Amino acid sequence: MSASRKTFALFCAGFTIAAFCASGFLRAHTAPNTNSPEAHGVTFNRDIAPLVFRTCAPCHHPGEAGPFSLLTYGDVKSHARQIADVTQKRIMPPWLPEPSEWKLSDDLHLTAEEIALFHNWVEAGMPEGIPVDLPPAPHFNPGWHLGKPDLILHADSSFEVPASGSDVYWNFIFRLPLEKTRWVKAIEIRPGERRLVHHANLIVDRSQSSRRQEKIPGSGFAGMELQIESEAFDPDGHFLFWKPGTIPEPEPRGMALRLDPRNDLVLNAHLQPSGKVEKIQPAIGIYFTDEAATKFPLLLQLENDRELDIPAGDENFVVMDEFVLPEAVSLLAIYPHAHYLCRDMLAQARFPSGETKTLLHISRWDLNWQAVFRYAAPIDIPAGTTVSMRYRYDNSASNPANPNTPPQRVMAGNRASDEMAHLWLQVLPQSRTGESEDPRRVLQESIARHHVENNPDDFEAHYNLAAMLQARGDLAPSIAHYQRALALRPGDATVENALGGAYLAAGELPQAIAHLSAAAKARADYFDPHYNLGLALATSGQFPQAIVELRAAVKLRPQDADAEANLGGALAANGETQEAITHLRRALELNPQHALARENLEVLLKGTSKP
Amino acid sequence: MPSRIARTSQISFGVALLLLGVWQISAALPRQLQSAIDLDGKAIDPLQAAQGKTTVLIFVRTDCPISNRYAPLLQHLSETYASGSKFWLVYPDKKTSAREIRAHLAQYNYKISALRDPERVLVKRASATITPEAAVFDSQGRLLYHGRIDNWYEDASRARPAATTHELQNAVEAAINGKPVPLANASAVGCYIADLE
Repeated sequence: MSASRKTFALFCAGFTIAAFCASGFLRAHTAPNTNSPEAHGVTFNRDIAPLVFRTCAPCHHPGEAGPFSLLTYGDVKSHARQIADVTQKRIMPPWLPEPSEWKLSDDLHLTAEEIALFHNWVEAGMPEGIPVDLPPAPHFNPGWHLGKPDLILHADSSFEVPASGSDVYWNFIFRLPLEKTRWVKAIEIRPGERRLVHHANLIVDRSQSSRRQEKIPGSGFAGMELQIESEAFDPDGHFLFWKPGTIPEPEPRGMALRLDPRNDLVLNAHLQPSGKVEKIQPAIGIYFTDEAATKFPLLLQLENDRELDIPAGDENFVVMDEFVLPEAVSLLAIYPHAHYLCRDMLAQARFPSGETKTLLHISRWDLNWQAVFRYAAPIDIPAGTTVSMRYRYDNSASNPANPNTPPQRVMAGNRASDEMAHLWLQVLPQSRTGESEDPRRVLQESIARHHVENNPDDFEAHYNLAAMLQARGDLAPSIAHYQRALALRPGDATVENALGGAYLAAGELPQAIAHLSAAAKARADYFDPHYNLGLALATSGQFPQAIVELRAAVKLRPQDADAEANLGGALAANGETQEAITHLRRALELNPQHALARENLEVLLKGTSKP
Repeated sequence: MPSRIARTSQISFGVALLLLGVWQISAALPRQLQSAIDLDGKAIDPLQAAQGKTTVLIFVRTDCPISNRYAPLLQHLSETYASGSKFWLVYPDKKTSAREIRAHLAQYNYKISALRDPERVLVKRASATITPEAAVFDSQGRLLYHGRIDNWYEDASRARPAATTHELQNAVEAAINGKPVPLANASAVGCYIADLE
């Protein structure tokens, strides 16, 4: 019999990600020369157009999120005072990070000199200047940015955004029609009416776990944060996000994203009512590549939700987390996440040399303009470096983003009125020689252990560490952590199944059968416990009961070769040879390379060919 | 005669500076444009049409997202206070046609009457600088309040989950009940009218 199937959960907070005007369009922008004699004669063509084309136009053009276009002298002139005002207040372009020594891709930060140009231009009466100074207007592709995608998927149903009310978080599930594993070099997200969508994040759901949240299949579901179950050894490695102005960038060579049959993509969208009822129906375009991934980035999460208990009125509530990297990595991107009360975010690295450097500092956090920030060049971080986060929250009435009036005590949670303290790092483990252990595993286990130490009463921390331990065969401690998780969330089908799987792997059949039965009972449509229970029962020689469970598994997932093969095996062991042959053949139809099915079928056919 | 009406009501404010401003503008313009006009092109002075009611002018733009997000609230307020007040939407952009305004009203489910104010006659009377901005006049045409609708928007990109102060509503209620308006002016957040041609 094949090894038991383990379903692991890596609960990741839905990355609700975004910012604004992304995608440096005209990268080489002209640095304004404020010392020149012409400085007082600021003109649109020479001084303003390059700034506007680079930092405003990516969103402010027809079809994009900006409410009006900023592509011509006339466009800009009819918003001139407003532009001077919002740039001076650093409201626009929306760019949260403070300048630092690490250059970020698509940086929209304006210097003080650049901002002064807008003001001076308005003061000067908004002169247009001479035509020869005007740079070419940016060109934006109205269709798919990277050409026609290989696969286009539309959300099964549209979502109606109400005319008024607070922000809405809605999730659309895209069911991938893949028949085999494919490698993805880029995904373009087209969220629909862009004025409504503040940002959206696409998450790979490899176990279809989000489907359980849909009331009707295809309807989508509400929620700001997602919990996605995934295989422990298949950690998320990519940020897939959309913000207004995003032009999708193909993944770097060798870092293609794997998508398998039965995978779903879940689009978590932050929507803002516009004043009228509107429908949105997002689409995604997927670009495949034949090049399988050779480099495997990993998303590491620092967090300190446990200490989020912010008294009403407290304007200076700080939480921190720090983690010592057990492996050398390249830091590719960083994604800070909190809700409305957070004001200031600081991410730092303390290197083994003792030197501390700031990886990211946001002094005016605004949930609406959150984003994944990618470093223009990867940052080398040696093993032994301490990565830290320090977030400050303001739960006073003077924080305009405060969701409560008057302020109330706020704790961690998934609702918009709750808080979070997360920092995600996209790291690429640096390759080592002479070591067999996957550095991703070392990193993952290390951070899982870190979370358990930080949060001894956290279900997800125990669950994830248990899954990691189970994956590398440390069954006794794995079982212990699953049990802690189960005690924290009694009756949970996912943890019952995983604990049963660990007992099964450890050969402790009675406990395995008890927990797997509990899982199957807790959620009748859950494939894994039926399958695993079938194996446990078969292993203990209880073939009739095993056949019942494996039939249930096959019914739930008719395309699963393993389930068919094991059902065939159990039927054969129970003497039901003809039906066993049918199922073994079916397994081989689904997977002609299925060794177990082939061997068992050969044995049976030999047996039946004899008189 | 629209031009005459406009001037007399200005005088009744007793705001000399304001009158001067209108006078200068009107001197440079054809006389028939010295007033706001309705969507059929007819000159209208909403303050003269008040008929004893409180007049509320809301300055809006079709392409101002902040204005648009207020549409449900404005429609609601206009209905709530219909017995004692008359609401008008005022579009100060010269380039926005009556047809575009009709489409805008239909899109956002507005039932409030709309006016075009290409010469900024009402803008000046209301001392309005921003869209969206509200102005409340008593039945005598005296400006009682101008400024933001409420404090929903902290700045152009940052909105509170919900407003916590309600300046327009307070002003309308006070005006209808003949009570002193608590606040004469509160800065609005949105798009500058001065940016329009």
